[in-house]
Amino acid sequence: MSETADAHDAPTSTGIDHKKLIMWLFLASDCMFFGTLISTHLLYRKLYPSGFTDAEGHQRFIQNLFNIELTSFSTFILLMSSFLMALAVSAMHKGEIKSFRRNVLGVIFFGLIFLGCQVFEFTHFYHQGLTIQNSVLGSTFYVLTGTHGTHVAIGVLWLILMYFYSFTGKLGGHMGALDVEVAGLYWHFVDIVWIIIFTAVYLVEYLGPNGFWGTGLPAVTK
Amino acid sequence: MSHDSHHDPVACKTELAPERSDLGLIRPDRTTGWTDWLTTVDHKKIGILYGAFAMFYFLVGGVEALAIRTQLARPDNDFITARMYNQLFTMHGTTMIFLGVMPLSAAFFNFLVPLQIGARDVAFPRLNAFSLWTFVFGAFVLNASWLFEFAHLAGWLNSFDWHKALVYTDFAPANGWFSYAPLSGTFGQNGQALRFTGVGTDFWIIGIQVLGIASLAASFNFICTIINMRAKGMTMMRLPVFTWMTLITAILIILAFPAITVALIELMFDRAFGANFFNPSAGGQPVLWQHLFWIFGHPEVYILVLPAMGIVSEILPTFSGKALFGYPIIVFSGAVIGFLGFAVWSHHMFTTGLGPVPTAAFSLLTMAIAVPTGVKIFNWLGTIWGGRVRFTPPMVLSLGFIWMFMCGGFSGVMHSSAPADSQQQDSYFVIAHFHYVLLGGVLLGLMAGLYFWFPKIFGRMPNAPIAYLASGMVILGFNLAFGPMHYLGLAGMPRRTHTYHAGNGWETWNYVATIGAYILGAGVFLAFANLAWTAFKGKKCSSDPWGGRTLEWSLPSPVPEYNFAQAPIVATRDAYFEDRHGGKRIAYENDGGEAGVHMPSQSWMPLVASTGFLFAGFGMPMMAMGVPHAGWIVITGLGVLILGIWLWAVEGPGGYMLKTPAAAGSPAPAETVAH
Repeated sequence: MSETADAHDAPTSTGIDHKKLIMWLFLASDCMFFGTLISTHLLYRKLYPSGFTDAEGHQRFIQNLFNIELTSFSTFILLMSSFLMALAVSAMHKGEIKSFRRNVLGVIFFGLIFLGCQVFEFTHFYHQGLTIQNSVLGSTFYVLTGTHGTHVAIGVLWLILMYFYSFTGKLGGHMGALDVEVAGLYWHFVDIVWIIIFTAVYLVEYLGPNGFWGTGLPAVTK
Repeated sequence: MSHDSHHDPVACKTELAPERSDLGLIRPDRTTGWTDWLTTVDHKKIGILYGAFAMFYFLVGGVEALAIRTQLARPDNDFITARMYNQLFTMHGTTMIFLGVMPLSAAFFNFLVPLQIGARDVAFPRLNAFSLWTFVFGAFVLNASWLFEFAHLAGWLNSFDWHKALVYTDFAPANGWFSYAPLSGTFGQNGQALRFTGVGTDFWIIGIQVLGIASLAASFNFICTIINMRAKGMTMMRLPVFTWMTLITAILIILAFPAITVALIELMFDRAFGANFFNPSAGGQPVLWQHLFWIFGHPEVYILVLPAMGIVSEILPTFSGKALFGYPIIVFSGAVIGFLGFAVWSHHMFTTGLGPVPTAAFSLLTMAIAVPTGVKIFNWLGTIWGGRVRFTPPMVLSLGFIWMFMCGGFSGVMHSSAPADSQQQDSYFVIAHFHYVLLGGVLLGLMAGLYFWFPKIFGRMPNAPIAYLASGMVILGFNLAFGPMHYLGLAGMPRRTHTYHAGNGWETWNYVATIGAYILGAGVFLAFANLAWTAFKGKKCSSDPWGGRTLEWSLPSPVPEYNFAQAPIVATRDAYFEDRHGGKRIAYENDGGEAGVHMPSQSWMPLVASTGFLFAGFGMPMMAMGVPHAGWIVITGLGVLILGIWLWAVEGPGGYMLKTPAAAGSPAPAETVAH
């Protein structure tokens, strides 16, 4: 965008750009969105044992399905993508478009690794017998983490489009930096939400011998 | 990319050379007629479109209500079937709330907020158009279920194989406006996903989802506009009260709608993919639906009523000739109502067995929310007190609002007592209560607003005798229709039953209520007909026929597309009133200079992106019910949506320069009609 007398360049009452403000408002709304989803999962997790019955009729437990090393790895990757996103925003503010492209490619690459891990995890859990249909646990788990994955996928698509758009020469100046910064806000938010989901869905299952909530059953052999 | 430098500033956009977007396409800037209305980004035109669609759906919802009342006029009546009755009360509630009141409030937000804060448009003009068209298509998806219902009744669907899969009990939704699980959900183990209800519920889910997107987009836009685009000197505590209530309503929407969005997603997963969120046979808890629904649903009540409160807070001072009594208290009461609105949802669920502690807590909080509401009532009375009252049609309706809303509030406080509520739950007493709040409150407030601002919107005066007659019919008919329902409810008549036997002592008052409903319906129709006539044929009036107080009255009627020829600088609350009668004048700043003022370009893209929701919204219920190839409609819809957003992003905001009368040399904003 060129530096014309654009409506979005007009000074605002608060000094905050419209685009940045509306993204903060969207994120406030998205907090309630994920808050509702996470609440649903925790309510049911508190109410029911972590076990479910697979297709062969075997009793299985979510703790045995989780591959915490893999999920920790993908969490770390997502965190590092946020770091690269911050570098990309900083590069845009300095007008270093090549540095921006390098960093944003890194973000896209890390985002895709995270999504790949999630696809692997979903497939693995499905073959282990946890489906969206056979238990409430499966429903809440897949819908919560899947919704987060959709957010990541939208972010990746957004950044890919932005990456290619940068070659048209129209992504530059104050407005270009603002556009990248707004995308960065979104990306950081999705990252923070994952930290909460990772804690609430995965980590608490490892507190104590039977997880924070317990299995809900008297004797469990893990 | 310099989209304005090659345009000479002129006073009429049709004189400009065609403007090309960043895509190289000609933007629909210079056209009039249909193209202009479909591509407009002018908040005033979008407001008028919102209002026109809302008034249409008010009449649709009204016809549905009259069918219900006709059925209930006599005991053991068979005017409509029980199935049709369920569909009618479901669609009546859904239509009135989501397609009547909310868009009519949105019409006022759109038309008034930029004018009241001294801005030339909203923060995101194209997003505003997107909200409008998404609402229009969401409303269409919701009501499309009626087309299927009528096709089914006519037997047109019988020759299709998938017909049997499509229907269980209904085509149009029949779950009530809250679609309680498990009735709206599924039963059966292991993903069988047997449904209690037919495709109507899927239409309802996707329709509400799309309407929610429209409301969310509009709310982000309006918060941004109010916080960021105020004229110089327009501090937050100088904002007109209507703008304040818009801000609080928008904040409620962005925080309340995600709960219903998630609930709808979960219900959709239950119905379409065999998930178990609300499936009782697989361990799902249907009461969770009630919680999620009312966490949205109770703030929604305040989303409906706060704009009407804002409207009344503008009208009462104007026609009492006094400043609003206790402006800061009114504003803070509105904020407290909004905040507490999130803490009282479980009073809809006292009979679900929450346990003594939550029940007591929600009882107390519900009583507490009556306090700021009562404070507002007293402030309005304080505004009228000692004033020189002019009984114009908007004032009559506003006074009716105070009186009727207060009655609704009284019965509302009764519900906060859990033991009393257990008796009143699901009886006609509840119907009486919320119609006093929503009709006596919200509808009277919105009608008052229509009569108040129509002269500003169209520059024409509504016919006063007809306005008085219509207002009288509405208030009389409304009390005849809903007053007796208090008695009927306490006498034991339950909600949502399509008929009743003679001998319960309910015959007389049901008959009276039906007569009242017809008077009410005729009154609303008369009022709307008067307004429609006014828009085209009404007597022309001056730019400030009422002696208004806020900035919009300083503008010519109808308002020119650039709103303010020069940017106003305000020094006080009620800036226009003070400008004429007080010591503090409105200063004007020639902000555009020789170049003129910057105007946003029109665009097809919001409409294109919204069309995606039409396809996806239509396809998803079909897909859920196993109609062959319906998935392709959904994929097409999502493709159109993404394509629309992409083209929207790369076409650029555009914009052109208009030389306003002020920039051309005339000193003050021109008035089209002399006083």
